[in-house]
Amino acid sequence: MKLLQKYSRINLVTSVMIFLLASIAFYFSLHYVLLKQVDEDLKTEKHEIESSVQRYGKLPDIIPLNDEITEYKETAAFSDDVTIHSMKIKGEDEELFRKIEFYEKAEGKIYRVSFAKSLENTETITKSVLTIAAISILILVIAGFIINRLVLKRLWMPFYKSMAIMKQYRIGRQAYPEFEKTDITEFAMLNETLNAAISKSEDEYNNLKEFTENASHEMQTPVAVIRSKMDVLIQDENLSESQSNIVQGAYDAIKKLARLNQALLLLAKIENRQYSQRETVQLDKLAEEKIAYFNEILQSRNLSISSSLQPVQVSMNAALADILLNNLISNCIKHSKSGDSISIILTPNALTIGNGPFDKPLDGSTIFKRFHKGGNSNEEHGLGLAIVKEICMVTGFAVNYKFEGGMHLFIVSLRNI
Amino acid sequence: MKILIIEDEKELSSSIVSFLQTEQYVCETAHDYHSALEKTELYDYACIILDITLPGGSGMDLLQNLKANNKADGVLIISAKNSLDDRIRGLKEGADDYLPKPFHLPELAARVAAIIRRRSFDGSNTITFGDLVIDLMEKTVKNANRDLELTKKEYELFLYFVSNKNKVISKGAIAEHLWGDDMDLADNYDLIYTHIKNLRRKIIHAGAPDHIRSVYGTGYKFSTDI
Repeated sequence: MKLLQKYSRINLVTSVMIFLLASIAFYFSLHYVLLKQVDEDLKTEKHEIESSVQRYGKLPDIIPLNDEITEYKETAAFSDDVTIHSMKIKGEDEELFRKIEFYEKAEGKIYRVSFAKSLENTETITKSVLTIAAISILILVIAGFIINRLVLKRLWMPFYKSMAIMKQYRIGRQAYPEFEKTDITEFAMLNETLNAAISKSEDEYNNLKEFTENASHEMQTPVAVIRSKMDVLIQDENLSESQSNIVQGAYDAIKKLARLNQALLLLAKIENRQYSQRETVQLDKLAEEKIAYFNEILQSRNLSISSSLQPVQVSMNAALADILLNNLISNCIKHSKSGDSISIILTPNALTIGNGPFDKPLDGSTIFKRFHKGGNSNEEHGLGLAIVKEICMVTGFAVNYKFEGGMHLFIVSLRNI
Repeated sequence: MKILIIEDEKELSSSIVSFLQTEQYVCETAHDYHSALEKTELYDYACIILDITLPGGSGMDLLQNLKANNKADGVLIISAKNSLDDRIRGLKEGADDYLPKPFHLPELAARVAAIIRRRSFDGSNTITFGDLVIDLMEKTVKNANRDLELTKKEYELFLYFVSNKNKVISKGAIAEHLWGDDMDLADNYDLIYTHIKNLRRKIIHAGAPDHIRSVYGTGYKFSTDI
């Protein structure tokens, strides 16, 4: 539920509740006050009748009125009791009256005097006052609701804008997000916090990148020394066969280390935009070159390759284009067994490199992750596809994995996104 | 022929010296900018192996200094900074070649030999080895005018061996020489074996002695004396 919706709902419910309670209270208090007023009138009437009796010695004449009913009844006993109560009197319609009853002596007789006054006016006043109140409160609520919707939406704009910016934001993409200035403290605070969080994570990200690059650099020298020492060591004529085997193991390990290091350095460099210089790359020509380059290996591993290349030009860094094709094809070769086939399809929209046949798809969410190793080969460092992804990212391409017809397909969308 | 190795990492420097030091080359070393500057100004070298990052200064400055003084020394840059900029800048400043670390010593030796060959002005584009004659322009190997008909890879392999005479070359070094550093694949040792087998077959077929021999599991050696 949106905040605005939630707020409106709470607002509406409380408004209606307050409105109901207030109406009830208002009704009762108004009713009470008006009744008191009528009672005062009744008492005044009683007083007038009494003074009339005192002055003239008899009860005043009854003047028939619509909204006043005066009655005299002879009774046996006198009482000081004065009662006031509401009652319904049936006339043409049933009407509510307020009635005062008391005893009066006149002309030697005892009368029970009752004087009733219609409450119709009082009711009318109460009703109209309540109606006016109800309508105005209702208008207030509706107006409030509409204003809330319109104004709040506008007030929340900076928030939605900041969210949109954050959605676009990717760490390490150099484009530092800029938030619109807002005079609302909360949103200014939010933007400030986001900015602080971004610059902190950018810092950490840069530190990590720097660390990776420095570590790889520093590692290169010892690796170079070890390799050179081994190149010297195998010159020894007296090396036995078992010693030679040990040396070979060390050679293979140092090769892996060197490759890993190289891949890490490459990743760091791509991330650091050291390959930002673009030129027009004839992708079909490059693919042909690569197929020729890998041909020997493909044959030795008994792999067949089929290609369908349309002439395609892209604007990208030439070195990265080379690495992109290299890694994708290498990856297919690495994960193929004797007799498998590899296909390369290039259209103006996409470069698709796939290999197969395989029984089941790979996990598309992890294969582009760093140090993810498909299969159980210990020969790879798991950075090949991560590099592919990084190259696509800086070039503005997208790379995806698809399993189709028993083939693992790696699809590079060449339309800049 | 004198070779100067300018490299601050002493262990690497000593490896290079012990690998290159043969009857053919005399190696000298410098470990920092100033001693290197002194040596390059005083003597002439057939080839200078130059590291870019040096204590006391940059290898690039040394290179500029050499060129400013019209020195004819060949220069091979070895750098841990395998960045494109370094490579392009180095070659633009007049270096003959660029080899990123970590490298195999036979690769270094082959590059040094190529630089020296290119810089020597004896006019011939051939290397003679016993009865075998390598034509560097036509990229052919002949034995008594009989073409061995080597493939491109076999020719490269042969030249690599000749540049590393009497040295054991590891399989990894051969793989990197033949297919470069880019091929992100597990070892192609089987393929190397096939190429070497074919090369040997062609050499023997042409009537020349078989100089190549396998050294246990580690690599191959091209011996001058059989």
